[in-house]
Amino acid sequence: MYRKLVVSAIGFLFLFILIPGVNAQNVIKIGIVAPLSAPGGVETGQALVDGAKIAAEEINAGGGLLGKKLELVIGDTSGQPEKGTAVMERLITLDKVVAVGGEAHSSVALAEIEVAHRYGIPIVIAEAWSDSVTAKGYPEVFRLTVSNSLIYSKAATWIKDTGFKHVAVIGENSDWGLGVIQVFKDNLIAAGVKVTAMSAERTVTDFTPQLMQLKNMQPPVDFLVDGFTGAGELLMIKQAHQIGFAPSKNTAVLGAGMDTLYPNFWDTVGEAGVYVLSNPAGLSGIPKTSISEKFGKTFKTKLNREPDAVAMEGYDSVMVLAEAIKLKKSTAGKDIINGLENQVNWEGTRGTIKFNKEKNPPWAYHMWMDVPVFIIQYTKMKQDPSQAAILWPAKHATVKQYIRPPK
Amino acid sequence: MIYLSQLANALVIGTLYALMSLGLSLIFGVLKLVNFSHGEFLMLGGYLYFLLAALKLPLPLALVLCIPLLFFVGLLVEKGFLRSPYQKKMARYDEYVILVTFALGIFLQNLALPIFGPYNRQAQPLFQGSVRLGELVIGADRLTGAIIAFFVIGGLLFFLYRTYYGKGLRAVAQNPAAASIVGIKVLRMRAVAFGLGITLAGVAGALFGPVFLVNPEMGTSFAVKAFVIVVLGGMGSIKGSIIGAYILAIVEIFGSIFLLDPSRALAYKDAYGLLLLVVVLILRPQGLFGEKERRA
Repeated sequence: MYRKLVVSAIGFLFLFILIPGVNAQNVIKIGIVAPLSAPGGVETGQALVDGAKIAAEEINAGGGLLGKKLELVIGDTSGQPEKGTAVMERLITLDKVVAVGGEAHSSVALAEIEVAHRYGIPIVIAEAWSDSVTAKGYPEVFRLTVSNSLIYSKAATWIKDTGFKHVAVIGENSDWGLGVIQVFKDNLIAAGVKVTAMSAERTVTDFTPQLMQLKNMQPPVDFLVDGFTGAGELLMIKQAHQIGFAPSKNTAVLGAGMDTLYPNFWDTVGEAGVYVLSNPAGLSGIPKTSISEKFGKTFKTKLNREPDAVAMEGYDSVMVLAEAIKLKKSTAGKDIINGLENQVNWEGTRGTIKFNKEKNPPWAYHMWMDVPVFIIQYTKMKQDPSQAAILWPAKHATVKQYIRPPK
Repeated sequence: MIYLSQLANALVIGTLYALMSLGLSLIFGVLKLVNFSHGEFLMLGGYLYFLLAALKLPLPLALVLCIPLLFFVGLLVEKGFLRSPYQKKMARYDEYVILVTFALGIFLQNLALPIFGPYNRQAQPLFQGSVRLGELVIGADRLTGAIIAFFVIGGLLFFLYRTYYGKGLRAVAQNPAAASIVGIKVLRMRAVAFGLGITLAGVAGALFGPVFLVNPEMGTSFAVKAFVIVVLGGMGSIKGSIIGAYILAIVEIFGSIFLLDPSRALAYKDAYGLLLLVVVLILRPQGLFGEKERRA
């Protein structure tokens, strides 16, 4: 009896060891890293995952990758670098992913690329904007969204051209937030625009003292940049509106983080969101191609809303990795990296993605340089970003100029 | 005028801080234990009010309903985890309490995550918009919250200093053995104190929700502030907690606008309170209104 028991136990043990092994041979795993719990930007993380899942379903419906099923392994980083490191270690060593996509916080992405670099695993950053992410020059790291220098130099030019004279930037104490402050300073001060910059911990919930200070400054602050993500971004807009500072006829406000793009934005800030500016790295249906329309339709069917820039980035990051694997007919890290660097020229939801090989300026390395950037402005409550007024770039603009709130 | 506006904001925030820290102080004063899950009960109150308001109950009723529900939760926790080990005079009771309240906090936070999701929720405020008094502008949600907190604190002080139960609680806080000799039921008083402490934390959460959003981690940073206030004011001192709360709010707000380098002033906001705490503890280790430990 005892012997039978031991034999059965060993048998079960073998089953547990062998079954995943057999299964692993028929599956190609791609890791998705995203903030799915606080203090990270949860809405952003969820949008990334939603987009990535649609990509995986589409690939599997079309027969998979190299004849195998594509499996996404999702890792929650909570927007914390140490968790990002741990999740990456787990994805690479335990889950055996062949590549990683995603991430929405620069400080976390900077921790994750160190792990990717150590193991030689390619990582396609979907939504982290700090210049340093690609400026480090790691061959494993690619980015299909903007960098701070790329987007905010354009935003700063638009601010100057629109005639704003005194810009206040309150940025979170992260690589991205401090980068936002720096790029605005670099681009605006030289152009004669006064810049008042403040940084704060990401956990700050009450901005009222600083907003009161800015409201009473001379010369008057006429443009506020909300350089926060998550709850901080929403609270700053809400509190600025409560004290009658911004958005108002005297002061515009730009929500630089992506939390302005989700339905929860309206649930939390309410009427304070009308006239808020945002800068998405992509808008649903622009450019109007069969892929963008197909993705928009699928996303709307599944999630009952228009896709946002981050969801499109999540989709695109899985798709470009799959494209590199298909082109190289290999899942080896160096082959995927080579495919991404030299061969991928894939039409995504926001245009044709091709990665830059030049390192001048350093942040341009492995960037998609033609990533679309917009400045939009909400004109009514509960408006979807795709319905908001487009102020910039001129070729897509739906209004002639910034819409000044009546009071 | 700007400084008057800042002071008004500091007083409003200070009142909310006071309500939040009184629960911690009351529990320490009567039960002589540090509740490390205080922030999570604050979060529970935030969600409870959010849910009751989402059920379309009249908002004042939703807020009032939170009080008995939170008190009941407090009684359950006290009966389930704290009473029996205390009665049995468990060895290393203090260490047990630290572990059990820590574990409870982690459990509640991880329970909230799958139930409510990780999203930031906006609990409905009793009044929306802002209140203007000349140049002075203040958010109606935080002003209403502070006024309610002010009355709750007033009610608590009346209860503690003017009612039989309140006097009983204070007697147990001062000397449980002597209180027991004169017929005060110590176990019952401990349960009431814990229930009240949880209720105060939860009501503070319900009032914070409309102002600072509700999410599973909302209690963490507020709990740190509550600990700073309670230690600053003197462990177990009701008066100390109230005054400590106003001091912390004033130091945080004025510290973040008066620092010489304004670009970094806000970055150190949480540090000002901790710095103040260090200074006070060096000069007065028992806190501003705490009693010196009697040593044999």
